[in-house]
Amino acid sequence: MGNSSSLMLRDEEIDEISKETEFNRNQIVRLYSRFLSLDKKGQGYLERDDFLNVPELAVNPLGDRIVDAFFTLAGDNEQKLNFRQFVRILAHFQPINRGKKNVLNGRRDKLKFAFQMYDLNKNGYITREEFKVILNSMVGANITPEQLDKIADRTIEEADGDHDGRISFDEFCRAMEKTDIEEKMSIRFLN
Amino acid sequence: MLILLPIFFPLVALLLAVVIVLAIFGKSLGIREWYVDVLTRIFEWGSAIEAYEAPAEVDEEEPGTGRRKLRRSSSSDIGIIVREKSTVVESKLDGNEPEENQQKTVRVIVNDSLDFATAGMEAIIEDQVTSRFKAEELSSWNLLTRTRFSFHHISWKLSALWVGGFFLRYFILVPLRVVIFAVGFSMMAGSCFIIGMIPHKKIRKFAYKHAMLMSQRIVARSFSSIIRFHNQENRANQGGICVANHTSPIDVLILSTDNCYAMIGQKQGGILGFMQTALSKAEHHIWFERSEAGDRKKVTDRLRAHTNDPSKLPIIIFPEGTCINNTSVMMFKKGSFEIGSTIYPIAMKYDSRLTDAFWNSSEQSYGEYLWRMMTSWAIICDVWYLPKMTRKDDEDAIAFSRRVKRAIAHKGGLVDLEWDGMLKRERVSSKLVQMYQKRYFDRLQRTTSIGQITENESEALEVMQNLNDEERELLLKELDDSMDEATLIKKVSEYGPIIRKRLQSSAGSSQSQSS
Repeated sequence: MGNSSSLMLRDEEIDEISKETEFNRNQIVRLYSRFLSLDKKGQGYLERDDFLNVPELAVNPLGDRIVDAFFTLAGDNEQKLNFRQFVRILAHFQPINRGKKNVLNGRRDKLKFAFQMYDLNKNGYITREEFKVILNSMVGANITPEQLDKIADRTIEEADGDHDGRISFDEFCRAMEKTDIEEKMSIRFLN
Repeated sequence: MLILLPIFFPLVALLLAVVIVLAIFGKSLGIREWYVDVLTRIFEWGSAIEAYEAPAEVDEEEPGTGRRKLRRSSSSDIGIIVREKSTVVESKLDGNEPEENQQKTVRVIVNDSLDFATAGMEAIIEDQVTSRFKAEELSSWNLLTRTRFSFHHISWKLSALWVGGFFLRYFILVPLRVVIFAVGFSMMAGSCFIIGMIPHKKIRKFAYKHAMLMSQRIVARSFSSIIRFHNQENRANQGGICVANHTSPIDVLILSTDNCYAMIGQKQGGILGFMQTALSKAEHHIWFERSEAGDRKKVTDRLRAHTNDPSKLPIIIFPEGTCINNTSVMMFKKGSFEIGSTIYPIAMKYDSRLTDAFWNSSEQSYGEYLWRMMTSWAIICDVWYLPKMTRKDDEDAIAFSRRVKRAIAHKGGLVDLEWDGMLKRERVSSKLVQMYQKRYFDRLQRTTSIGQITENESEALEVMQNLNDEERELLLKELDDSMDEATLIKKVSEYGPIIRKRLQSSAGSSQSQSS
């Protein structure tokens, strides 16, 4: 009982994180409380399983991909996420503030997160096969492999500017030009 | 100090006697209510000190807000974020789409994947399910360290209050409570054994009912509980099944101070097991062995036999199957709703401002929990008896359970969730994941041409199967590698009407031949 309170956040840390991510103190404390509750084993860091324990994420068709993108962007090869890294990724989803120079939640940063979801092997390109995997997670056994192929083909063709059969990050950004990324990938934080 | 002792003991004994006598008759002097009132006022004063000494950080965008406002509501769902995308995703999956149909498949899929991503992030930050398995956050501190997140020192006044509270709880209240509890408990056990020996059935029932009510009231007082019952005209009198939402092991105790119930549960060891044996001596309860617990049919049969017997007491069941933190009601297991007898729903809502009665079984053992309750301020609970419900003819057990659950959630002011309480310990089942995939596929069928791909394809397939040799040769001459699939399918489908005509005429000729 009460072992979670021993992993307290120091004031200096809160200030540093606040400067880096533009979250205010109150939000950081609440996110820390959330971090601790996800960290059921009290290890001080989060692993993949800790995320997938959240039922609403586990039933999300892209649940696995989201967790994967999380860990990739955090840059940690060991698949362990500390609180700092956790908050930095969440900061990507802050609404874009015009007139404020923010390094984490720009349009490109949001697109980077989405790209990481699709790029399974992290080689900087989305291939037809990788897109098929994504599609498969979303619809499961409800479509035939032929339909899967067809949709994947069409998708790659649409975005593949240089006709190399795969989509680079730049091609991805260009394909998303007409989409309101800021609206789709922003979360309104309270307080 | 020693001189005070001889005066002290008789006073205490007198106090205990008063409490017990009052409990027996179900009356109250209103002391507990007064005590709760005083405490609430002290807590609010404490919050005011806190807000004064350590004002919350002002958000840069709103320079004028200054001090944080004190929230008065006791069980507010204080959120970190606004969960917009999760709602959007849910409405898309349910079929309430804002967009028109027949959009490009690729566009829809890519846009949806972004929505899924954001909804997933929202779930990571704040979700509806895991929060139900831990105690809710309080808006004003109730001077118990267990509800405090960070211990940084705020003010001397507050710390002094806390020390005073500690002293009061551990050194004055606990001894009194332990004694009262012991009296109540032994009375419960003792009376059961004695009553069990009475041969005459009616007298035995009468004696049991009153002995139980009395002893439960005494035990309830040992937790300094204030229980308010509403709509007592709906109380179950004979037979039937009472269902209630589950928050803590003392739920049964609280309900038993007003009405007598038969209980159902697994046979335990230790003190609980002793209690179960004692209770069974005087009245019919259903205790099943751990090995039988898995055999649902056996349990259901015993349950049905009990409820069909009008001489037996109404049985109390908690269909959630596990303790939830009293901010929501989770999925009801359908077992008790399959039996077909009348259901008497009961809604229970604890007021957590003074003490949170929720038992987090992954964090505390049963003994630790009881000790926590002993060392808390008070337990306040509102109990509503809802009018009885029976299963409608066109309703199955699951729909019925949902209807009852909705009624209970509505009455108690709790959020109605469809999630399974077992998710406290288990992972989401793959069946649930597949269900979501199906729902997404249905959405694609509604909004894109993905369904039409299926239709055209299967038609083409059928045509191919029915071609005879010369038609096949003709078809092959028309097709070539340079065509894309859509054109291929179209070409094949063009043969469709020809084939149909041929099949019809051959069927017609065979008919005329046979007749």
